[in-house]
Amino acid sequence: MSGTEYTASDLFVERFPDQARIVRIAFTNAFVALGVGALFGVLQALHRTEILRIVESPTYYTILTGHGVFLVISFTIFFLVGLYQWAVTDSLGRRPVDMRVTWTWLGLMSVGTLIAAIAILAGFLDDPPDVLGSELSADVLFTFYAPLQAHPLFYVGLVLFVVGTWLAGFDWFRSWWAWKSDNPGERIPLPTFMVLTTMIMWYISSIGVATAILAFILPWSLGITESLNPTLTRTLFWYFGHPVVYFWLLPAYLLWYIVLPHLSGGRLFSDPLARVVFILFILLSTPVGIHHQYLDPGISEGFKFIVMTNTMFLLLPSLLTAFTVVASMEHGARQRGGEGTFGWLTALPWRDPAFTGMALAGLVFAFGGFTGIVNAGMNINYLVHNALWVPGHIHTQVGTAVALTFMAGTYWLLPQLTGNRLVGRSVALFQVVLWFVGIIFMTNSMYRGGLIGMPRRTAEPQYAFDYEIGVGSVTELDVQLALGGTLLFISTLLFLAIVLLTLFNNDSEPIVDGTIPPALSGPEDSPRILDDLRVWVAIALVLVIFAYAFPLANIVSRGGLFGPDISPFPVVTDLASHPVTVDAVLTLQHGVATATALIT
Amino acid sequence: MTDGNVTREIDHDEYDPVGTLALIVLYFVILLLMWGFTYFIEFLGNDPTPMLLA
Ligand code: HEM
Ligand SMILES: [Cu+2]
Repeated sequence: MSGTEYTASDLFVERFPDQARIVRIAFTNAFVALGVGALFGVLQALHRTEILRIVESPTYYTILTGHGVFLVISFTIFFLVGLYQWAVTDSLGRRPVDMRVTWTWLGLMSVGTLIAAIAILAGFLDDPPDVLGSELSADVLFTFYAPLQAHPLFYVGLVLFVVGTWLAGFDWFRSWWAWKSDNPGERIPLPTFMVLTTMIMWYISSIGVATAILAFILPWSLGITESLNPTLTRTLFWYFGHPVVYFWLLPAYLLWYIVLPHLSGGRLFSDPLARVVFILFILLSTPVGIHHQYLDPGISEGFKFIVMTNTMFLLLPSLLTAFTVVASMEHGARQRGGEGTFGWLTALPWRDPAFTGMALAGLVFAFGGFTGIVNAGMNINYLVHNALWVPGHIHTQVGTAVALTFMAGTYWLLPQLTGNRLVGRSVALFQVVLWFVGIIFMTNSMYRGGLIGMPRRTAEPQYAFDYEIGVGSVTELDVQLALGGTLLFISTLLFLAIVLLTLFNNDSEPIVDGTIPPALSGPEDSPRILDDLRVWVAIALVLVIFAYAFPLANIVSRGGLFGPDISPFPVVTDLASHPVTVDAVLTLQHGVATATALIT
Repeated sequence: MTDGNVTREIDHDEYDPVGTLALIVLYFVILLLMWGFTYFIEFLGNDPTPMLLA
């Protein structure tokens, strides 16, 4: 394919105009969410560090909720459905069986987002209106479990959104079934395989959050039930809350496995290894959610320990990916004349924003892995839990590995989806590098701030005490956080501008090569059982039951399905009949500061 | 646009990802150093947990 300038008829938009339209709408939704989310991000960065405060500190929670929900739910998942719609259509070479289904899921997801967004944004009003008998508000953060309570509309919006994604998965399965009956005995094309396995993981895990909302949180927020069992809803949330991170990540993996080797000038190193990785995610991503609850009371240490072991197994697919993707890049570099142990790195197409964005995203991901292992360790987690370290980790992973890959992928996909030439390639290159620089400043500050105990999720991290810091100073950390956040915001604006200009750049010939070369080692080198999805679903379900049946039974038998109460500790209120506990209860009531004073 | 300058085709059998191996080894070395650093910050020079709760 040397030097081919593709004629428009080869472009995705020419072959599947209606599908290109679906993808463009999904991407538009994603990018609107990205823009608002990034604005909220920079406001947080400047507010926390007391550089610029345009809202009152209590409103910080509205901003933080918007930032979390718009970015990790709307931006990532709308991009995912767009990308997957492209991947299935392109790799199977066929349109959906029934386009009405496609429009329905896109509509459900959009309406759901809108409803949830209204509930969140009402938090900015001085006097939010009453809707359905309660005040409109949803300052519950993206980890929306009890005791924080949102207006019912927020949960209704989320439910519609999630149901939309379920229907999208059904749509893709249906395309595959139709393709299978036309192509009996053929291996599932790799991109479609990745889509189907991701969706299986999503079905298994999102059932947890659906149960939490529909059975407990929504009725409680509507006033139908009086109380709930907070440990139960937290556990159901995290049952979904860990796999959802792979739901963000797997589309980035798809781009790394499918597009990055091609951008490097080579071919995917191994198709079978890629399949194994996606299967490992079906099996391993759900039975680990309790690792977010190491510090939750009401779950035995034993369960937590088992989950820690499961979590460490998840390193395996990440390391396999690092190997396969880097080996594919090296293959490309050597084909382009690269030599030597490290010299080949210079033969990579570093001037291509799509390539450079994805490569830098992968690099950040590798280092985010280290902090992930720290979070996963049961004891060392105590050090960083709820500290600023955690957003540090979040921004290296979903905030960069995923977000930057999506932006870079857009640079490659957009011309094929619009038929327009990408505007400002060198600005695009600058944009991805700027994101990389911004994230280094911001997360460096967050990690180090976390290690000295700075809390996350607060407008006032300094309270009234000083942090003891070994290297540098708190002011220096603040400056880095604000600077990094500002660079990220500028980078986002550049990205959105390039996308917008490209959309309107319609009297141009795109320069893009959309063909995906076959893998060096193709699917014929792998056992057929990899494609037998039923086997993997069955094993995954067994693992989930092993991991969750006992903890859940335990939690319910102690707290009841609808719980004793949602009030925080202490649960014991009848002090007179428990004279011995009075001291302990009072101590805890006065918080950590008092406790420390009593002990020392 | 990116594969315009492929200078030679390398197929499966003649390809050895030695550079990848080198990078992965390097990555592990960095991880070990980071663990060492974390250990240094967290454990060395800190007193044992006080046993005053009894
Ligand atoms: C313009 C770019 C961004 C800036 C300036 C930014 C800034 C911040 C800051 C300062 C916080 C910490 C707030 C606190 O704990 O008090 C935060 C939290 C967070 N950010 Fe970002 N961020 C950006 C982009 C992203 C992206 C792209 C994602 C994900 C796709 C993301 C996901 C999150 C999440 C999940 C949290 C934690 C929210 C919570 O604790 O509820 N951010 N961000
Ligand atoms: Cu997790």
